[in-house]
Order: sequence, then structure tokens, then C-alpha cells
Amino acid sequence: MKRLRAWMVRLGGLFGGGQREREIADELASHVQMHIDDNLRSGMTAEQARRDALLRLGGVERTKQAYRDRATLPLMENGLRDLRFALRQLWRNPGFSVLVLIMLALSIGANTAIFSIVNALMLKSLPYAHPERMGTIYTRVTGARSSDERHSVNGEQWELLRDDVPSLISAISSPGTSGVNLQVGSRAQYLQAGRISAHYFDVLGVRPIAGRNFSEAEDRVRGPKTTILSYGLWRNSFGSNPNILGQAILLKGEPYIVIGVLPEGAATPLNADLYTAIQAGRSGEGGGTNFQVVTRLRDGATWQQADAEIGRAWSHRGYLFELEDNPGAQVTWYSVPLQVGETATLRPQVLTLMLAAGFILLIACANLAGLTLVRMLRRAPEVATRMALGASRWQIQRQFWVENLLLAFAGGTAGTAVGFVALRGLLLLLPEHFLPVASVPLDGRVLAFTLLISLLTSVLFGMLPALATRRLDLRSAIASRGTGGIVGGDHPGLRQMLIMSEVALTVVLLAASGLLIRTLIHLQTLPAGFNPAGVMTARASLDDVRYHDPEAFRKLVKESTAAMRQIPGVQYAAFGLSLPYERALNTGLKISDGKEAGQTVMTGEVYVTPDYFEALQIPVLMGRSFTEADGPDSQHVAIVNRTFARKFFHGTSPIGRYVNKDTRIVGMVEDVAIQPGLEVTAPLVGEEGIYVPASQMEGKLLSLVHVWFQPSWIVRTSRPVEGLTAQMQRALASADPNLPFSGFYSMHDLLAKTLATQRVEVALLSAMAGLALLLSAVGIFALVANIVAQRTREIGIRIALGSSVRQAMVHIGAPGVRAAAIGLIVGLALCLGALRAMHSVIYGVGVYDVPTILTVILVLASVALIATAVPTLRIAGIDPAKILRDE
Amino acid sequence: MGDKADVWQGTLALMVLKTLEAMGPLHGYGIARRIEQTSGNLLSLNYGTLYPALLKLEQEGSIAAEWGVSENNRRAKFYSLTKAGRRQLRREAQNWEQTTAIVARFLSSTEDLV
Repeated sequence: MKRLRAWMVRLGGLFGGGQREREIADELASHVQMHIDDNLRSGMTAEQARRDALLRLGGVERTKQAYRDRATLPLMENGLRDLRFALRQLWRNPGFSVLVLIMLALSIGANTAIFSIVNALMLKSLPYAHPERMGTIYTRVTGARSSDERHSVNGEQWELLRDDVPSLISAISSPGTSGVNLQVGSRAQYLQAGRISAHYFDVLGVRPIAGRNFSEAEDRVRGPKTTILSYGLWRNSFGSNPNILGQAILLKGEPYIVIGVLPEGAATPLNADLYTAIQAGRSGEGGGTNFQVVTRLRDGATWQQADAEIGRAWSHRGYLFELEDNPGAQVTWYSVPLQVGETATLRPQVLTLMLAAGFILLIACANLAGLTLVRMLRRAPEVATRMALGASRWQIQRQFWVENLLLAFAGGTAGTAVGFVALRGLLLLLPEHFLPVASVPLDGRVLAFTLLISLLTSVLFGMLPALATRRLDLRSAIASRGTGGIVGGDHPGLRQMLIMSEVALTVVLLAASGLLIRTLIHLQTLPAGFNPAGVMTARASLDDVRYHDPEAFRKLVKESTAAMRQIPGVQYAAFGLSLPYERALNTGLKISDGKEAGQTVMTGEVYVTPDYFEALQIPVLMGRSFTEADGPDSQHVAIVNRTFARKFFHGTSPIGRYVNKDTRIVGMVEDVAIQPGLEVTAPLVGEEGIYVPASQMEGKLLSLVHVWFQPSWIVRTSRPVEGLTAQMQRALASADPNLPFSGFYSMHDLLAKTLATQRVEVALLSAMAGLALLLSAVGIFALVANIVAQRTREIGIRIALGSSVRQAMVHIGAPGVRAAAIGLIVGLALCLGALRAMHSVIYGVGVYDVPTILTVILVLASVALIATAVPTLRIAGIDPAKILRDE
Repeated sequence: MGDKADVWQGTLALMVLKTLEAMGPLHGYGIARRIEQTSGNLLSLNYGTLYPALLKLEQEGSIAAEWGVSENNRRAKFYSLTKAGRRQLRREAQNWEQTTAIVARFLSSTEDLV
């Protein structure tokens, strides 16, 4: 206690030093005076009395120092002095300090922003109770075609998992949400509904604030219609009605009883406005792999037990679809943490970005090391003087470290601010629900990371120069007055090495972002197979009991498209299940004649109205388009696309062939770019597809596909039409006043949405490459500018001796150009290895893309030349006569 | 000064506290003088070492300081014992007596050691 009290007082003593100095001076003066008084009384002379008093005291200054040491904490007092000195040093070099701060802020900011995402996706626990007990199931197939990934399951798998795997609480959900209509009073709303099994919220550990979860009885096929509301929907659409439980709401055209309300901010992977029971069976939706699994390990069970039970349950099914078309293959299933399963697709991209951010940090470090080195050497005379006056090497080093740490902390703080802003901007750039997490916070772990890299940076860029000063020769430093000698020694070599490394890293980043840009351009300029200009689309949910009857569906389609056709300026109005740039429904169908008879093929399927091909201007290559005559009672017809014909009819004419027994193919159209539904080889593909008339859709299939897909209305206008969307809404309302559109989308919007990932990748990596380029340019600039400043005298003499300004510029600029050139070559060599890792994210360009490489070389060479040339321009201003006079 | 003992580390604080207890509030010079006198001029005190010791006691809260006027009309800083200081003095005096008693026993009867 006593010690602590004294320590606190001493800590306080670090401040208010002036007051204390006066006190002790006064006290000692009074002591000496009293002693002199006594001595005089005992008969000494004035001179003797004074001498004796001072002698007995042991010296006024020594006493003061002993007193001061006791008054404060000497070690910390020194630290504070170093800090003040460091601040003064940095203040006297505002150019250097600001440059360093900006570089640190940008590089640390980039790292902070990217790390926040890594943290949110991979390090932070999922926002559920005991997230380590939550999982999902991966399917590993080994054989001719191998795979190892999260797989959707079918109804049979779900039943076996639910009933025969006692170690797990299992649940399934739809893979995403679907649009549904909710009618409250006279207002119809388009909402996102998630379909989930019983125990889904038990797996997540989410308890409703009111009511309960779905019971097993409610999750049976054709079970009662019930729903659980999200907190937001309950508050916004039902005014937080406390009596909502047990009441019926009009959802999808029929009454659903509300049985629960979720707590505020409850996160689920689906993130839906409301939930309904999925009621999965083995047929219909359950006949295909349409469900996503989440599991929770029961108390006392282990994952090994669970995996063994899954293996027993699933391997004895009558038909293992996993091994289809893969003779000799083996399949196993195993649990993985839910977090891994949820973030698997984003993981490589995020880690690539983290790597790029790391490059930026290294480049910044190399730059800062170069700058600090120069600054340190310029201060050689100061250091030499301090050492001559008795400062120890440790004191000098400590001073430099304090300055570096100060910069690192200031840079870290600025970097955190930049990172925060960058992260906000980045999240705005991302499409909604792009990241499978509710928020990306700057939490303690992120701040700790930022602190760590700030310190690391400081150590990295401070170490080199500090080591350099250890070799400092006192005499030559003083003699050369810091203007020649030492700097002209081997240090420019060191700096050139630094520049070289950062240029090499920059080349890799530039090439990588170049490849992504080329990929994006390739995807955006891909032949679309239709004309996207002048098209407006709108989507609505027909997952509605009123449209389960094909007759009602046909009537709605006919009346609404007819009304839209009446809008002035509209050329065509059509309707279809899905659009180009979107994913199509996957169907298996049987080819019924010819040599391929009996073969089952997987294909995309789109139901359309006759105007669909005209409205989108999809060229009909052979045969005919659909007409109004293709109705429910006439011959069933279909139109295939070019890839379908090539793949399944091997180039022979598809016209007149039959599929699914009685469906006659009447035409062939051009492929359009869509999101892959069958095999993901690129973000946009021209996949095999078949079109059927909307009017020939049978009721059972219609209600099923409308659970998954929200069909679109399409209009083509000859010119921009004022208030088109409002008129489209009115046209729909004339056919059904209670059917809301989800929104209006141009084909450009749809393309942008499909390529969102690529756009984000391009934006981020290009920003990083740009930053790297900027940092490298600054590095080269600083190197050359410094050489010019250091060697002004030499240049003056050269010019006086007959060298032209041009020759002098080339001579001085050479090290910068040389460093950049070697860096470029090393960087290109690095690209050979590094870019191969990118093959999975680039489409339409090779890994070693000549135009990209040439552009990188050109950009880098120009930037390096400019960065070199600008500082050498100062040479022209050197007056040799003045230099010689000074000599 | 060869025949005078130096002040041992740690005992100076005890002497200061005892002096202040005996004399009441006193300035630094007075304390120094009083310690010398009390020791019968056997102790040689470097007056300078007194001030950090006083500061330490003040930081620990055993003594308090206040500016005042000396008997010869000189301005001086007067130190006085606080309550905590009295407690400390009692404790340290006891410790000291114990220690000296033990040492004395050692010195008087070496044969008991074996």
C-alpha cells in the first residue's frame, strides 16, 4: 500500500516539474542559509561558513539530482524526454512525417479492412449458442470424377438423417429464400420467406420470444399451415401486436396460423422475413436434392459417432445419386463445422485479398525502411555529436526506436480510421446478403491485429536503419558534415534492393488485377444471345393458392401481358419463368425417339409466352417460335437452344424430334448467357436449355416451380417511356389488384447482380494494385530525389567539366530505373508461379495473358520513368558556378 | 571523520521519524543537526542524503511538510509526523529492537550456536 502510494505520487511527479524545482531550490537555499548562520555564530569567517555548509550538504546540484530521481520515476522520465525529442524531430521534418503517416494509414487501413472481413467470416464464432457443436455435412466422392463439398440432400436422405442419426439434432431448410405475397388489410407485400423443418431453430439455438417452433406434426407433408414471423415483420407489418399468436394471416393467398415470433436481431443463415414449415417428403421437391442440412451435436455424443451413423444411414439407400455416371466411385459423408460450410465459397477469395493486403504492407515497409534509412543517415552528424558528447549507443538507438514507435502508433491510429471508412465503403459495394454474416464489426480482435501489424511495421522499417547506425564511424561522420561520404557508400545499394522488392510485389498485384479486369470485361462483353437494350422486367411471386390452378395462371398471364402491350411505346410484352443472366430451372427429361431414344438428360427449362423470344430478341435459328395456338389442349411443343441440339442430337436437326413421350420440338433458338445451373464452369454460360409454352404447364409442376422461382414480366420499348414501371404495375393490377411486384430490373441490373462477385473482386484487387503502384512510385521518387540532393555538388562539378544536363540526369536517374527494371523482371518471374493460383477465378483469359503482361510492363515502366524523371528535373536548376564557388 | 560511523541504509528514516516524534515539527537542517547531536556526534550525516529520504517519507504519507518560519526568522520547510508516521515509527522501532536484541545475543553467547 505504502509503496503503491509512493509510486502514484512519483508518477504524478512526472508532471509539474517546474513547481518542484523551485521548492527544492528554496528548501536547500534555506538549509544552507541556516547552516551558515550557525557557523557564523560558532566563529567562522563568512567564507569558511559558506564552504563548510556546502561541503556538509554534499553539493547543491548533487542533492537536487538525488531528490529529483526520488521525486519521479527516472526510467519513465527518460522515456518522456525521448518522446518529446522524437515529437520535435518529427515536427521539424513535416514532409517526411506526413509521407510516412499517409503510407502507414493507407497500408494499415487496407489490412484492417480486409482483416475485418476475414475475422467476421472465419474467426468470429457464429452468433449461436455453442457454435462448436453446430455442423453441416460434406459429401466426398472418390473415383474417376472426385468431389468434396457441401451437398444438398433429397427427401430420402433427410428422413434417414432425421430418424436414424441419434447423435445429431438435424434440420433442413430451402437453399435460399423465396418471394411470397402477404396480404395485410388492403395492402399486399412481397416478402422473403424461408422454408425450414421442425427443430431448425433448435439447431440454431434460437428461441421465439413468443410462441414456439414448428412441431413435427406441422412439418409433415400436407400438415397444417403455420408460420413464424421475424421480429422486424411482426413490428413493421403487425404493429407488434401482442395477440398475434394463433391468428391467421393471409400468406400466399391462404390463411397461415402464426405460432411464433423470433427475437429481435435473431440471425439465421436464411435471413428471411418469415418462415414456413418445409413439409418435406420423398416425392415432389423431396425427389431431388433441394434441401440444405444443419446439425447440432447432442450432449454426450461425438462427431465420430455422428459421422458413423450418417454413413450407416445413407449408404444403404436403394439408389446412390452421388455415384451417378461415375463408375467405380466411392462416396463417404462427414460433418464439418457450420461456419466452414457457410463460408466455403468465399474463403479463397477473402484469403487472396488478405494476401494482397499483406503485399501492400510489405511494400509500405520497404518504402518506409528506405525513407527512414536516408533520414537516419542525414542525421549522422547529429548522432555523431551526441555520441561525442557521451551519449551511449543504447541511448541513440532508443531514441530512434521511440521515433519509429511513435510513427507506428500514429500510423496505426490513422490506419484504423482509414480501415473503418474503407470497410464501410466496401460493405456498401457488396450486394445485399453477399456475406453470410449479419455484421462485420471492428472488434477487439481486429484492433489487436492492427496494433500488431503497426508494431511489426515499425520493427521492420525501423530495424534496418537502426542497424545501419551501428556501423556509423564517428570521425568520418563529423568530418563529412553528413553531405557526402556515408550516404555515397553502400546504402543506395540497400535502398535499390528495397525498391526492387516492392516493384516485384507490385508487378504481381498488377498482373493479378489485370487478369480479373480482363475476366470481367470478357464476361460483360460475352455474346449475350439476345438484345438487352430497351428491356424492362418485373418479378412477382405466384407461389399463391390462387394460381395453383393452371386456368387461373393462364388467365393472369394473358390479361397482364395484354394490358402491358397497351402501354404507349411498348413493342412486346412477354412472360417467362426465368430470364437471361439468371439461373434456369433444372429438369431431367427423356429423349423419346431416334438413336438417343430412352436417354435421360439434364437441362435448364424455361416456360415462356409466345412473345418471349421477340421481346428479348433471341434469334430463332430453325423452325418456329411459339404461338397463341400452342394451348393446354393442343400438341405439347418445345423449343431447344443451340447447345441442347448440339449436345443431345449431335448436330442433327432437332425439329420434329420428341422428348418426354409426346412433346414435339418445333424450333431451335440461340443460346443466351445464363447463370450456370448444371455445372459451374463460369459465372455466365450458354447452357443447354429447353423452352416450353407457359400455357402447357401442368398444375402440379406449376405450383412446385413457383415455390422456387418468381417469374418475370418482360416489356421491350422502342424508346424510353416516361413512368414505364408505374404503368406496368397498373397493368398487373388490372389483372390482379393484390399481386405486388418485387421490383423492376433492366437487363443491365440483372447482369450486374450476376457479376457482383467479379465486380467486387476487380474493385478490391485493382484498388490494392493501384495502392501498390503508388507506393512503389513514391519509393522510386524518394530514392532518386535523395540521390539528387546528396550529390548536388558532384553534379555541379560534372556539368562544369562539360557534361550536359541530360547526361547528368541519366547518370543520376540510373539507379532508380535499374531498380525498377530488375524489380519488373523478378516480378514477372514471380507471376509465373503466383498467377497459376488464379485459374479458378478467371474466365475467358489464360493465366499467362500476353496483353495483360504487356500492359503491366508498360504501366510499370511509365510510372517508374516518371517517378525517376521528376526529381532529376531539379538538376537543370543546378548552377555549377555557385557550386564551385562554395567549394 | 574516520572515527565516525556512516548512517546505515534504512536507519535514516527511523531516525528522522524518532526525531520528529521527540521534537515536533522541524525543518530539514534542524533534523540533520538533531540526529548528529543525539548520536553524540558519533554519526557523520551527509546532509544532502536527508532530503531524498524526507521526500520518500512524505510520498509514503508518514510525514507532512509545510512552509513556515524558523526560530531565526528564516523561511523553511517544516516536517511533522502524521498518524501513519507514528504507526510506522512504532513498528520500525519494535523491529529494530528485536533485531538488535537478536544480534546482541549472537555476539554475547557464541557457544549456544553449536
